[in-house]
Amino acid sequence: MKKVIASLALGTLLMGGFLFAQDNQPTDLATTGELEPSIFKASITGVSLY
Amino acid sequence: MEIGSFIKLQRVKKGMTQEELAEGIVSMSYLSKIENLRTEASPEVISMLCTRLGIELDSETNITIKEKCEQWFDMLFEVNDKEEIIERFNELNELMTLVRSDSLMLFEIHKIRYYLIMGEADNALEQINSLNEVSGNFDSLHSFYWFKYKGNYNSYKGEFVQAMRMYKLAEEKFKHVDLPDVQQADLQYTMAITHSKLRNTLETIEYAEKAIDIFQKEYNFVRCAQCHIVLGISYRRIKMYEKAIKHYNLAKHLGELNKSKQVIQLTNQNLGYLYSTIGDTKEAIKFFIEVIKDEEVQVSGRLMALTNLIKEYYRIQNYEKAQEMIIEAERVLELAKNDVYYKLYYYIIHTYTYAINDQHDKFTLLVTEEFIPYLRKQKDYANLIVYSNMVAKHFETVGRYKDSVKYYKLANLAYEEVVNL
Repeated sequence: MKKVIASLALGTLLMGGFLFAQDNQPTDLATTGELEPSIFKASITGVSLY
Repeated sequence: MEIGSFIKLQRVKKGMTQEELAEGIVSMSYLSKIENLRTEASPEVISMLCTRLGIELDSETNITIKEKCEQWFDMLFEVNDKEEIIERFNELNELMTLVRSDSLMLFEIHKIRYYLIMGEADNALEQINSLNEVSGNFDSLHSFYWFKYKGNYNSYKGEFVQAMRMYKLAEEKFKHVDLPDVQQADLQYTMAITHSKLRNTLETIEYAEKAIDIFQKEYNFVRCAQCHIVLGISYRRIKMYEKAIKHYNLAKHLGELNKSKQVIQLTNQNLGYLYSTIGDTKEAIKFFIEVIKDEEVQVSGRLMALTNLIKEYYRIQNYEKAQEMIIEAERVLELAKNDVYYKLYYYIIHTYTYAINDQHDKFTLLVTEEFIPYLRKQKDYANLIVYSNMVAKHFETVGRYKDSVKYYKLANLAYEEVVNL
């Protein structure tokens, strides 16, 4: 029984850690010079590359 | 939209409690049942509740509102005058508070996208939070847009892992709704961009190619061009340079045909970056100069091209030209004080200023004490690699080998973060 509880607790911790790591992944890497287009349509005022 | 959900939404929007709305009409528990679609109330009860909420029930007006809504929804996907979008929004917003319309819920969900287009992320979040309460009653069509726009909000905030989760849920919902192909293409395009941000290169290619097939059939050439750009980025990342250049050239050609300066300059920026990564400085400079020559390119775009030019000239030791670009970049930076990238460009410009003028103490102090901690905080691993390597190389040149190793190690760790993505 103790083993079951211990493995459940460990499993929860590992899963929690995994989800935390996923949510804390770095975001936009494109600040060095490579830029994706916008997910919204192009604006008609001025040329915004971001 | 079910009448119960409609009543709940209107009540929440007006800040009324169930008790206030139900008083003298029905019991609170019965109202709760109506709102949660667990019972169907009589027309008289619905009418009394709507009257208390200050809403008319008029089927003719409902049809007009539906048409107006559809036009407005389309405007959120095309290049349109912002003023016109705002004007239509205000008109619809006013109508919705007076008349009971089946389109209300879709209108409320589309507000999320509207606020994002207007750059009002806080309002978009507020709208998401207010809709959360009624989202349990959404049908497949509502859910499709709900997940898509929540994903749009995450994309806007740079939370790409969460955005991808939302887009996948929207993709699942799309199977159960009857919407035009172009809606599918728009979602696939959005997913291609998000995969690209997450560096999932193969998925990016898969989604961009799916989207491009539909956009071609719809003659939506601006979106086709944007797909070619993201394909160019993907092929560059897997070092298939010729294929990347082919896609960039196609994007540029479509941009020119459609007179889309945005597409043209975005292509120039990416072509410049491609040539920079393969060490063809001459070609890289040519494309970055195209970007800065265009006076319509906004501040953040100009700063990116200018800082890339500074790096290229520094690399070929043309310090005179690099200095010239620094002066121009400083001038543009003054106009970007409220830009989110202000700090990044400030640090880049000053790093190169000190490096070019051999101000070693200022250079090492700025990079090690301010710039690198800033990049670590921002999780900007790409720049972390560039500037850790730069300072490590400097320490190596001046014989400070221990410090040099420390920063080479940091660059290596940052590189691992990028590869792990």
